[in-house]
Formats: sequence, C-alpha cells, structure tokens
Amino acid sequence: MKDIRNSNALKAICYILVPCLILIIILSAISIGYYASEIDRNEFNQYQIDTGVITEYEGDIYRENLVYQLSANTYQIAPSIFMISSILLIICMIYIIISIGHKKGEDGIYLDSLDKIPYELLLILTLILFGIEMALLAGPCYQLIFEEYNSYIINTGILAAILDGVIIYITITTLVITTIRRTKAHIFWKNTIVYKLFQFIFKGLFINFSETVKLAVEYGGFIIASVILIFITMQNPIVVFFLLGFWYYIFKKILSHINQFNKVREKIGKMYKGDISVPLDEEELYGELRQIARELNDISGGLSNAIEEATKSERLKTELITNVSHDIKTPLTSIINYVDLMKKEEIENPKVQEYLEVLDNKSQRLKKLTEDLIEASKASSGNIKLTMEKLNVKELIKQVSGEFEDRFHNRGLEIIENYPEEEVSITADSRYLYRVMENVYGNIAKYALENSRVYIDVIKENRKVQIILKNISQDKLNITVDELMQRFVRGDVSRTTEGSGLGISIAKSLTELQNGKFDIFLDGDLFKVVIEF
Amino acid sequence: MYNILVCDDDKEIVEAIEIYLGKEGYKIFKAYNGEDALKVIQENEIHLIILDIMMPKINGIKVAEKIRKDKAIPIIMLSAKSEDYDKINGLNTGADDYMTKPFNPLELIARVNSQIRRYTTLGSIKKEEGNIYQTGGLIINDDTKEVSVDGNKIKLTPTEYNILKFLTKNKGIVFSIEQIYENVWEDEAYGAENIIAVHIRHIREKIEINPKEPKYLKVIWGIGYRIENIK
Repeated sequence: MKDIRNSNALKAICYILVPCLILIIILSAISIGYYASEIDRNEFNQYQIDTGVITEYEGDIYRENLVYQLSANTYQIAPSIFMISSILLIICMIYIIISIGHKKGEDGIYLDSLDKIPYELLLILTLILFGIEMALLAGPCYQLIFEEYNSYIINTGILAAILDGVIIYITITTLVITTIRRTKAHIFWKNTIVYKLFQFIFKGLFINFSETVKLAVEYGGFIIASVILIFITMQNPIVVFFLLGFWYYIFKKILSHINQFNKVREKIGKMYKGDISVPLDEEELYGELRQIARELNDISGGLSNAIEEATKSERLKTELITNVSHDIKTPLTSIINYVDLMKKEEIENPKVQEYLEVLDNKSQRLKKLTEDLIEASKASSGNIKLTMEKLNVKELIKQVSGEFEDRFHNRGLEIIENYPEEEVSITADSRYLYRVMENVYGNIAKYALENSRVYIDVIKENRKVQIILKNISQDKLNITVDELMQRFVRGDVSRTTEGSGLGISIAKSLTELQNGKFDIFLDGDLFKVVIEF
Repeated sequence: MYNILVCDDDKEIVEAIEIYLGKEGYKIFKAYNGEDALKVIQENEIHLIILDIMMPKINGIKVAEKIRKDKAIPIIMLSAKSEDYDKINGLNTGADDYMTKPFNPLELIARVNSQIRRYTTLGSIKKEEGNIYQTGGLIINDDTKEVSVDGNKIKLTPTEYNILKFLTKNKGIVFSIEQIYENVWEDEAYGAENIIAVHIRHIREKIEINPKEPKYLKVIWGIGYRIENIK
C-alpha cells in the first residue's frame, strides 16, 4: 500500500487524467443535454442544407452545428462515457487525496515551502488569481455562448477556454493539495494567522494557566458562541443540527483530552513507584501532552539507563571479587596445609615454632577475609536468593544464644533476654537472618567488655518487631556510626587480631535485603544494635 | 588397604592430601586433570575419589557424571567455589560430599573415613534387633543406650541422649525448643528450656564432622531443630 502512495508516475497520470476527465464529463453532459432537448435535428439538418451559405448568423449556426455534431455522434455512448468518466474521476481524486504528502524515501507527511505560507495568505492569493482567471475565462465563454461571430472566433474561444481551464485547475489543485497536506500533518491550524494571533494573545494572557483552564476557556467560548448563533439564526433547524454535531465533536475532544491526561498521570505514578519499564506511546497523545510524554520518556529512559549501568557495574564488581577470591583460595589452601604439615614436623628451634604460629594465624585470617569478602559483595549487590518464611523471634534468639553460650561464657558475658509473653513472628530468610545474628553476636563476643552484661530485648509495637542488642564496648569507641557501618572499618581501628571488619556491613546489607532495618547507636561505651522487621 | 584417587590441577594440594591420607593408611592415586582421573579409575580398583571442579580438559562435574554412569564409588568434591549454587550443583551431579577450599585437613580425613566406612561396610551391616533408631550413618541403640556415627561410638550425656533419641525417633520433623522441652523433660524443671539450644550445639559438636555444616542435626533458625532423614 505504501509503495502505491509513493509512485510518482501514478500521481502524474492522475493529475493529468483529472482535467481530461472533467472535460469529457462536461462534453458528454452537453451531448446528453442536447439530445434530450426539444430541437428537431432533421429540421436543423434540412435548414443547413437549404441555406448552405455563410450569413451574419454564421457563428450561431457553427456553434449549433458543433454541439449538434457532438451530440449526433456520441448521444448513444454519452451516458456510459459520462458514468465511466465520473467513476474514474472519483477514483483519481481518492488516490490523489490519499497520496498527497507522501514521497518516496520520506517517512510520514512530506511538507514543502508552500506549506509554510500562512493559510489565509495563500487563500487570498489563490482567490485573487482565481478571480483574474475567471475574468479571463468569462471573455471566451461569452464569445462561445452569446456572440454571433464567425467560426474562427468560436474556435479560438474554445481553445482559450480550455487553456484558462487548465490554469484554473492548477491554481485550485495547488490550494487543495496544500490544504490536505497541512491537515494530514496536523499543522493546518498552527499555520494560520488566526492561530498565531490567538497564540500570541493566549501566551500573553494564559501563560501560567494549566491545560485544563485553557480547555475550559476555549470550549466554553465555543459553546457560548454557538448558543448566540442559534438565537441569531432564529433557531434554524439546520444550524441547530450542525451545532449539535459540533458540540458532540467538542465533547469527544474533551474526553480524549481527559483520557490522554490520565495516561500521562498514570505514567508519572508508575515512575514515582519505580516502574520505568514501559514508555508512553507519544503517538496516542497530542499537543502539549505529547511534548510532556516525550520529555517523560526521555527522563525514564535516562533513569533506566542509569539504573542498568549501576546494576551492571555492581554485578561486575561482585563477579570480579568472587573470581579473585576463588583464585586466592587455591594457593591459600596449600599455604594452610603446608603450615599445618610443618607444625607437625619435629622442630626444635622455638623461634621457628613461634613463626609458624604467626603464619598459621595469618593464613586462617586470610581465609576468613576472602570468605567474608565474597559474602559482603554479594549481600551489598543483592545477588542472593532469599526464601522468606514466618520465623519465631524468641526461638531464634534462644537458638543463637545457645550457639554462642560457650564463647560468651569464656569472656564472662551474661546474656539477659527480655521478650513479650506472646509469640513474636517476622517474615525473613531463616539462614540469612542467622547470618545477621551470628555477625552481631560474634561482634559482641569479640568486642564486649569482659564480665559485663549483654541485653537482648524483643519489642513488638504495632506491626513492627524490634530486636535490640546492647553491650558495653571493651575499647573506647573513637569512631562514628557511619564509619562503623562502612566496610573494612571496625570499632577499634587499631585492632588487627581477628575478624575482617566486614561483619557489621554484611549484617546490615543482609537485613536490608530481607526488608528489615539495621541500625547502630553509640552512646559513650554503650554499643546498641537495633534490627527491625 | 583402600585406594583413593586424588584429582586436582594444583600439584601441591594433591601432595598435601597424599601426606594426610597416607598417614591414615590409604593408598593414594594421583591425577592432575579429568582425563587422567578417568584413566586411573579404569585401570585400578578405586574406593573413593577426591575431585576438584575447576580443572583443565574435563572439569570435575563432567568427571563425576561419567563415573556415575557405571560406578557407585563415593566422590568428595573439593572446590574453591563456595556458593550454595555450586554445592547443590556438585551434589546433584552425583557427588556424595562437598568440601570447600581452603579445607581443614582433619575434616577432610573425617569425611574420607566416613565415606569409606559407608561404602565398604555399612551396606552389609545386619540390622540389629531391638530398639534401633537410624538415619544415614547415625545409629542409636536404645537397649544399650549407645550412639554411633559411621561406626564410631559417641559419648553423650543423658540429656543429650534423650534429645537426640527423641529427634531421631521423629526424623524429618522440625521441633521447636518448647516442643523438645515438653517431650523430653518429664518433670517440669523450670529454666531448663533455655539450655536446650546449648545441648543441641553440644550434640552437633559430637556427632557432626563439621558442626557448622551439620549433616544429621539441622538447625532451622527461627523455627526449630530436625534430624535429617537419610537413607
């Protein structure tokens, strides 16, 4: 279909065919009309034969004869020619209307410089041209029909009329083409002086008004104007009918505006919630809303690009850390194994024993560090599959306390648990919640002041459950909460004996992955962790 | 004397394992890639395979798949890959156990011993009469009040024994601390509830090779404890 619209040859044929067809239709109409008229052909024939001379009525007779000849020769086929030509004309016109504005190699509607001239100006120009041409045509027409000159003048008259007809055809066609093209490209109103004038006035007046106010003013004005029109025309039924149609049109337009507005509103709502996957269809929107849609799509496109980039780089980081950690693990395995084997050899030099002990400690720490590193990067990038289920908080605390009982006991730490009588449950991943608790308990076991008490409170408020763990730090906490939360930072900066310093950071990331909140509060030597679900 | 094939592309790791297992009295066959491993298995009678995953030519997963086509030899995977996904993948392709590098030599030895015992003797052990509760290599004889894992006798305190017996009797079912307390304690000793978690950890330390990755006594955090039903 699109190829047919773009064919230049077809277009040229149609443009030439149209005037020809019009001419044929006029001629066949004359033929039919004449045939149907009262004139007695035989009589006329006789009259011509009888006189056989050129008189001062020569022009009259010649004209009469021309029409007679036409009619006599064609009256049998004239009706069918009239029909076929009319149908052909309609087809040509339809094709022209469809094909206007389409050009090979151009997407959408093709506009040229003619379409940039304000429509009113073009209309006036065409009207003037049309007037001049009509005036020019009037001469030969008059000649043809009324003047009684000789055959020569009639012949030149016919020629002049045809020529003038062609010029008029070109003028009108040009106007029609540009009108259709403008309508198709939705710029018809935009390129009128009236529109520009209105826009100028409106921009000055309503620059800060919303689309809705503008709509109300515009359409309200239309309705008031049409009511006035009804009264002026004395409730003429035709005017009323047209206005009803017009109102219906306006009503539809308002509905479509509301519909479009809702689409944009919905999109903004989605974006606000973080769904930026589906862009708005700009083609469904018009005017200012289309502009808004385009800008919105640009914003969400940029956003999703940024998010995609961030996710990608985070994933790459995780992959890198995981791969590097794997590569570290293999040589580390040998270090740990051979240190262990050496320790089992009989070495008499106590210094060597001491050095081996250092090697053993450090290699074990390196092992823990690589493991934590993988876990931290996975947790912070959210690269973990969770199985969320209903968990009993009291059960969990008892279980974890049981696990750490020995380590706490060794440092003289006493656990004091406080929880409500009723059952307290949360939704979380059993294993990863344990990892959180393990890290927090491990932190307490390592850094709490010896022979002090550790308070573990469970608080249920509204729908929130808080697990609060409090202990007294052994060392001075010369650090801010932010620093503590960051990876590789520990409560005591100078401490290098155990842990990777990733524990708290892992615990926070894992809690957040399970839709929980993980906070730390420092108050003097009081170290408080609040886990909320 | 049992033959063990150790296959890893890192020669030093293979040699270290040879030293550890050699001391236990095993005969070690060595391979440094998947192809050699398959060849060794064809040519010798092997009782257990320690297999690395990331290896040149044929990787450990494929080797395990090929072995499983016609042999039931126990396979212990030994890999630097420590993610759950890798472990599940390894065990699904036919491995009997999965250990991550760097490994604890004692744990490796324990796991090797356990697999060898299961492979060579357990299958033929006659079911003893009486009140026997069993899951995998864990056997509780309620008549003699004896507990053994893979043939090794385990010493438990009476409380630990009662808890383990209760859980093994109901293997595969998760019990909360409260439920264990209600079922195991006949008289209501107040406060005893709180130390059940401690008892359970002690049991795990006694019956499990690696208490942090228990095979028999699983902890379901926030829900309870369960003895796995292993055939």
